[in-house]
Amino acid sequence: MFRVDLHPTHVCDCGKFRLRMGQPLPFGATIVPGGVNFSVYSHAATSCKLVLFNKHEKKPFCVIPFKDEFRIGNVFTMIVFDLDFENLEYGFHMDGPFDEKEGHRFDKTKILMDPYSKSIGGRDVWGETPDWDDLYQHRSRIVFDDFDWENDHPLETPVEDLIFYEMHVRGFSKHSSSGIKHPGTFAGIKEKIDYLKELGVNCVELMPIHEFDEFENSRISPATGKMLMNYWGYSNVGFFAPKAGLAATGKFGMQVDECKTLIRELHKNGIEVILDVVFNHTAEGNEKGPYISYRGIDNKTYYLLTPEGYYFNFSGCGNTLNCNNPIVRSMILDCLRYWASDYHVDGFRFDLATILGRDQNGAPMSSPPLLETLAFDPILGKCKLIAEAWDAGGLYQVGSFPSWGRWAEWNGKYRDDLRKFLKGEPGMVGPMSQRLQGSPDMYRWEDRGACASVNFITAHDGFTLYDMVSYNQKNNEANGENNNDGGNDNYSWNCGVEGETDDPEINRLRLKQMKNAAAMLLVSQGTPMILAGDEVANTQGGNNNAYCQDNEISWIDWSRFEKNKDIFNFFCKMIAYRKAHPVLRSRTHFLNKDYKGSGYADITWHGVEAWNADWSPETRTLAFMLCGMHAKGGTCDDNSIYVAMNMHWDAHSFKIPELPDYMSWFLFVNTDAKSPNDICAPGKEKKNKNQSEFLVGPRSVVILTGKDNK
Amino acid sequence: MDIKTRTKDGSTIIEIIGSLDGNTVNEAQEIILPLISSSNVSMVLDMKECGYVSSAGLRLLLMAAKQLSVQNGVLVLSGLSDEIQDVMEMTGFNNFFKTFDSVDSALDALRKGV
Repeated sequence: MFRVDLHPTHVCDCGKFRLRMGQPLPFGATIVPGGVNFSVYSHAATSCKLVLFNKHEKKPFCVIPFKDEFRIGNVFTMIVFDLDFENLEYGFHMDGPFDEKEGHRFDKTKILMDPYSKSIGGRDVWGETPDWDDLYQHRSRIVFDDFDWENDHPLETPVEDLIFYEMHVRGFSKHSSSGIKHPGTFAGIKEKIDYLKELGVNCVELMPIHEFDEFENSRISPATGKMLMNYWGYSNVGFFAPKAGLAATGKFGMQVDECKTLIRELHKNGIEVILDVVFNHTAEGNEKGPYISYRGIDNKTYYLLTPEGYYFNFSGCGNTLNCNNPIVRSMILDCLRYWASDYHVDGFRFDLATILGRDQNGAPMSSPPLLETLAFDPILGKCKLIAEAWDAGGLYQVGSFPSWGRWAEWNGKYRDDLRKFLKGEPGMVGPMSQRLQGSPDMYRWEDRGACASVNFITAHDGFTLYDMVSYNQKNNEANGENNNDGGNDNYSWNCGVEGETDDPEINRLRLKQMKNAAAMLLVSQGTPMILAGDEVANTQGGNNNAYCQDNEISWIDWSRFEKNKDIFNFFCKMIAYRKAHPVLRSRTHFLNKDYKGSGYADITWHGVEAWNADWSPETRTLAFMLCGMHAKGGTCDDNSIYVAMNMHWDAHSFKIPELPDYMSWFLFVNTDAKSPNDICAPGKEKKNKNQSEFLVGPRSVVILTGKDNK
Repeated sequence: MDIKTRTKDGSTIIEIIGSLDGNTVNEAQEIILPLISSSNVSMVLDMKECGYVSSAGLRLLLMAAKQLSVQNGVLVLSGLSDEIQDVMEMTGFNNFFKTFDSVDSALDALRKGV
């Protein structure tokens, strides 16, 4: 059927393209019958022109002003007919005042990227040196929004059943040892799906995949002579476009299909996808930064500005996105809805999320409208929302991030307390009892449940697991900042020698400490997160801030898989154990009582003496027992589990709580034992000879399964 | 781009010569879609002389295959370059097609009922 409102009414000045007034919504470029609908918002622009290029060409083939009658409110909109949109790149010229004090920075000579670009050209192949003479560096493109999902649907796995795996798309498989066809790309992850399944993780958390500029602040490291790049990508160019350089097909402009294919295939294999999203700032930097899009389209709308018109810098990256401005709020919502509905993404982790709760003057709000909107949005209704609950402006909200029962947090306190306990610091048994239970001290007050806590020991920020047990000090010289960058509060311990060593005793202890950490992480209530590569003891040579290292420092070295099968095996079996035992995956916090009549409370605390945990500061031993009848709030039956943790440098004998006559304790993990006796396949545990006592070696973890005698 | 069609063993063979991209896809569509208007058609797209298929081109192939399948027909591809095959795999289009090295092996398979 023909629509009467899709006929051209005008012709552009060059006579080549027919035009008509467009639809203001949706923003961005949308394919319509016979043409493309362009729509862009600017509150303060006095005029706007559409600039059209053939792909990769420096000079536009046509510049079409938006006629006055094509503006509705503060939106410029127009349909252009007869475009070969597959070969098209477009941008805008915006005219308006330049008045820094008023916050306006219009410059009509600049070509500006559409903030709603679904695909962005200019950095099509990762690391390929751009043409710096090109006036239009990041170029809006038009995408086909059809994709055959083959009945795919976001998996909606209950959050308590997830095991997050944080990875960098490029770093995961770029190393020459990865042995795949398309290293460092979305397609490369697809080739490694079997590996992820073998490991057992069921949710990948991808570090930023929105278009960013790997050449932002690129420079040569004075220490190594190597090129430093914006490798991590926590600096958005665009919010709606997947990064072309992370796709093997980016050179053909097919990154959208490649990214969607990866998500579809991960879903087919039961693996969810969470995106790390960066809404706290953009790649435009401060006053001295480039015009990419936002500052030339409506500086005052998009950025938090000081009364003098300078950029607030709560992100530590030059500017701060004005998240609680209604226009920016809508853009963020549009963006997340787009990724949830068009890409079937299962959730989001928000980088420096605390900024999302600052008002337009930068002050923290008690009920930030953006966070509330996201918590209640119908399209995001089943998406996981995870906050990094701090920002570079000094606001730390771990445990107090506004949640409406929807938001989880990266629990930085979990990481710090577990590390301190692991290295044998005193005074840690009390805090550890909280961390192991899903941090009720932090999250129970608002009834947020155990899964408000995303538990992790390592993440992209900081040491890898291997480095955490091998370095006391960070080793960031290669970053070219005199080792001043990166955190100093690492709570790491090198086990006796700094860095690599041939000493077999130290290497044995390091391996055991990694296993201790993995064991404690995977028996903790809350949702665990593993940093990709930790399962093969990946190292960054002590670099705890590898954001600029697009090289072997941060790429996972897959040859370590062969060398470290022991730790890989340990991770696999611990993950399988967590999956096999719902008692480890409670959605709610424990009640510390027996409400099932089993004779045991849901959780009970022990020490070297059963039923009598020693909470004094010098104690480094702690044990707990989970009653299987109370699994998942008493809704399902499971075995009971007893975990003894001895972080003291001497062995200690632990008295084990007695089970009913029909049950016995079976040994699942003893990190003090050498492989293959350190861990067994879940369900294949051997019955303990001594049912009342267990000698737990120095700095060791023991896990027992309590089940029926058979 | 040029398109040649012929019939062999009851199958329609469509040879695509040149690039199948935004410039040529409409023309290709006008030739291919009428050929699938009747039921039980089996079709071989011979891509031996096709050096490049863009996103729009892949969408045309997929649309043709889907339209054929609802009419109990089948569309197979033959002679794809390694690069095109690779792109199809990375972008998920390969899931929807059977591919063969040559037109003859495609016809052979169609005879046996793929």
